Amino acid sequence: MDEEDTDGYKEPCNQCAAVDWGISDEGRFYCRSCHNVIERTREVVDMSFTSNSNRISRIGNKSRIRKSERGYIWMLCEGFQFILQNQADALLRLGVAPQFKDDVLCQMWRLYLQKSQQGYTRNPIRNLRFRGAALDSDTDMDSAAESVLSDNFTDSGSVLCSSAGSNAESSSDWLGSDYSSTGTSASWKRSRSLMTMKKTLALIHLALVWSREALTLSDLLRLVKEGHVPYVTAYEDLPEEMKLCGPDALLFHVESIPSHRSVHKEAQVLVQFLQLPAFPPIIPEALLHPAPLSLRYLTDANLPDELHRWVCVLMDRAGMADQKRHTLDGGLRPVLPRYDLQAAALIIVTIKVMFGLDDHTEWDLSNKADSHDDKADMFSFRKWYKLVQAALVEAQQRRDQDTARKQWKGKKLFFVDKRDRLIVTKRRRISENVQMCLKRLSSCPVAVHYGGASSFQFCWGDENGSDGPSLHHTKLDGVISLSNGFMTPLNLNYWHPPLRPCNPRTCASHYPSMEPTLPRSFVWLLQLFSFMLDVEAWYLFDEVLEMERRVFGIKTPQIGQQVETRKWLRTEKTNATQTGDPVKKPRTPRKGRNGINI
Amino acid sequence: MEALDEYLGPPVVLEDESDSSDCSSRKRHKSKLPLAKSKLPLAKPMCVEAHVENSFQKTCRICLEHVREAMLHHRWQEAAEYMASYTQVLEDRSTVKAQPDKELVWRMSTEILHHLPNATVTDYNIIYERMKHSGFKHYLMICLEHSFHLMLHGDIEAAKHQVSIAESWRHGKESVSQLQRIRLIHAYRSLLDYIMWCEKKSTLSNDNPFESDSQGMHTFFRLASTNLQEILKNPGVWDPFILCYVEMLEFYGDNEEAQKVLNHYAYDNSFPPNPNAHVYLYQFLKRHDTPDKKLMKVLKHLQVLVPSHELMLTYSCLLLQSEKESHTQKALGVLLEMLDFQCWRSNLDVWKCLHAVIHQLLQREERATSVQTQMAVRNDWWPALHFTSFHAKKDLEENSELFEVKASLVEILCPGQSPRYTAEMQMLTS
Repeated sequence: MDEEDTDGYKEPCNQCAAVDWGISDEGRFYCRSCHNVIERTREVVDMSFTSNSNRISRIGNKSRIRKSERGYIWMLCEGFQFILQNQADALLRLGVAPQFKDDVLCQMWRLYLQKSQQGYTRNPIRNLRFRGAALDSDTDMDSAAESVLSDNFTDSGSVLCSSAGSNAESSSDWLGSDYSSTGTSASWKRSRSLMTMKKTLALIHLALVWSREALTLSDLLRLVKEGHVPYVTAYEDLPEEMKLCGPDALLFHVESIPSHRSVHKEAQVLVQFLQLPAFPPIIPEALLHPAPLSLRYLTDANLPDELHRWVCVLMDRAGMADQKRHTLDGGLRPVLPRYDLQAAALIIVTIKVMFGLDDHTEWDLSNKADSHDDKADMFSFRKWYKLVQAALVEAQQRRDQDTARKQWKGKKLFFVDKRDRLIVTKRRRISENVQMCLKRLSSCPVAVHYGGASSFQFCWGDENGSDGPSLHHTKLDGVISLSNGFMTPLNLNYWHPPLRPCNPRTCASHYPSMEPTLPRSFVWLLQLFSFMLDVEAWYLFDEVLEMERRVFGIKTPQIGQQVETRKWLRTEKTNATQTGDPVKKPRTPRKGRNGINI
Repeated sequence: MEALDEYLGPPVVLEDESDSSDCSSRKRHKSKLPLAKSKLPLAKPMCVEAHVENSFQKTCRICLEHVREAMLHHRWQEAAEYMASYTQVLEDRSTVKAQPDKELVWRMSTEILHHLPNATVTDYNIIYERMKHSGFKHYLMICLEHSFHLMLHGDIEAAKHQVSIAESWRHGKESVSQLQRIRLIHAYRSLLDYIMWCEKKSTLSNDNPFESDSQGMHTFFRLASTNLQEILKNPGVWDPFILCYVEMLEFYGDNEEAQKVLNHYAYDNSFPPNPNAHVYLYQFLKRHDTPDKKLMKVLKHLQVLVPSHELMLTYSCLLLQSEKESHTQKALGVLLEMLDFQCWRSNLDVWKCLHAVIHQLLQREERATSVQTQMAVRNDWWPALHFTSFHAKKDLEENSELFEVKASLVEILCPGQSPRYTAEMQMLTS
């Protein structure tokens, strides 16, 4: 009774900021949490005719609408459709080709709906309770589904209407009633196809790969993190009519930005789930191809452009120039490549080949470069290290501060039911008040303001605000020798971490245990690139190992790897010990073969 | 009032719960944590990652680290900035961590406010009020601290208002900790009543001694006394409260009651041993011209608790004045025990008193056996404590009278020791 009367009054209490009003016997309002009585008294208004008259309900004739709920009854996938649409719009605003949204993402989403039996099917998933009621509307479903197929995302209104229409009428799988009530086996099956916020990112990633956009997964995640693509507070952009309620609303509640690894895995699962046909080939001109991508990372890391030639040489050697290797094909090559990691690993391996990275060779080479006459134009590892290290430390601190200051709670409150709303409102009030108080005293903006979206983490050059002078033009002459018309690196050694039998299924990454024994300069390089891609160092390290296997022709990382390595070592005609650490490998004719003929 | 680490760490009870679950995760993350951080003693309970830490919690954890860092380095503006973004932790949907977080926000924000020059009373009020109502667990504590804050700023009325609100607050069944706090709150309310009583008293005596506003004053007394009477029955240390109570009782001439209360406070075995209780009793008795015998009885108890107490000089003087032989013996013991402590080493009065005692003893017995028996246990370390050549030099420089008194006692106190103390004198004179 009280609730009906106090429902309209949402002002927070002056004393304790709670919104939990009760009405005393005299008809006065009081706060239930702090018992503060306020001026307001109960308004005696006949509520009977105002109650629901202005609340438009699309399927109001159905008896299952609860009177207290306002607005439309809608389905989970509709909510996600809106979110996907907003995310795609944000990407378009950032410069992604318009075809990405209508021709690729939209199609994939439809495919998803169909495969997960949420739409475009004769027999959509429905709540068992309402099967009888829903059956009679099945007849007009085909036409509805077709109308959706002919639509696209751009005129969003019609998509919403038609899909909502078809879905809501053909199934009663509406929010809050579904996922808990099904049996175990069914729910297991469902959970695999259940849409989640993470899956929106995986789907967008797949669509980006399909449309061969220059956005890698790490770029996408960075855009999400910096708020250029709606994700954390995506629920705020749902239309007014779509109210979140019930336990399933928590699906839209995000407190975490998924890791590169988990989204990649999710995308990989989606590829199989959707049974996607062969993707458009990643030709060398496409920006996802390792050649252009590695150039981008070289620029970002302030490495000389000349190094790109050597990266390409190594890429050829690893057989990675072939576009087939980078093209996802549902049947033949169902593995989704990690383009960004691959390119970074390629660069790391190239630097390792050129400079040794054993804590000696690279410094010796820099001494040589520093003593060269033409010092300014020569690339010196030491100079580069000092420059980039300073920028890296600064950028790391900046990122750390941004993480500390990031606000995760949206402007709109997120709650799942009425009781929750009271609690959340009160918490928000308290937090806001305390925050305002501290803000006023510290007189500084609290929220993080990310600048414009950029593909680059660092800025090298002479202009204002750059991280340091650019080294892109520097020459690699100091580390290359010319013999018999072939350019070969001066460095003759290559080390490899100790090889040991390892079962990739049971073993996690060995990086944490191996890290203390690895050369510092190598570890630093890993840190630099893992910072640039915003992934964990071990994740990149595993990719580097994988790349080394490919470049040096180790077949598979299976048990008995040692044996294969021995074979490899023999074919390379080395006298290094088999499991020596590090394995020294004299220069092989390989470099000569692939050397660039001048 | 609170230790620093209480500001920085969550309450001890909560640590225990979280430790077991965090063990594995701490191991897992160990390699990734910088070494320096794990070595910090304060960092441990705070920085343990929850088993699955999501990005929001990570943000909060890092933010908290920044706040602490800034606070430890007294960069209060920066601390306030980070604290402002840390408040989002209050909106955390997982309820497990909510309690310690609230306490952290409350304690740290008030601490930051203390150090910001432009913080106003309104700001304090906002934080105290909001945090008070954020949950019931800390309600009483925050009320109490709020009123402390107001008290410190001289707003006694508001402070009393706060405490009275807390006094009438109830939530669920009274748990043990709640009971303790309620008792404290009652005590402080009475203290505030006393302060107001004092104010009334001073205005009464200053302005117009004939005006009969003693009625209002008496009301405060009644309010305070009923509460204090109850509270002082509970074992504990109630030093400031009992003083107020006694002062008020004395003002109204109820000395018997005052003495009863003080006696109870000093001699009830259920109370923790409290030297102050005996001091208060002594001071009370002294004020009311009680015979020396009674005073000595009180001081005897105090001597057992604190042999180095400054009242011991008075005690030995009283003993000496009574001129009974057993009392002189006792005085000797008291003085020697006082001199066992560093703080009395160069106090002229004590040495003079000791001189007088020993001379009185020497008049009675030839060989001063009692001195020797008392000194038997001290013989091996007293020379080093009082009678080295260094002490001689120092005493001569600072207080020659002290040197003379001490020099005259060396032979009696430490016979047979090489007279290094007096040798210094000879050296100087020669």
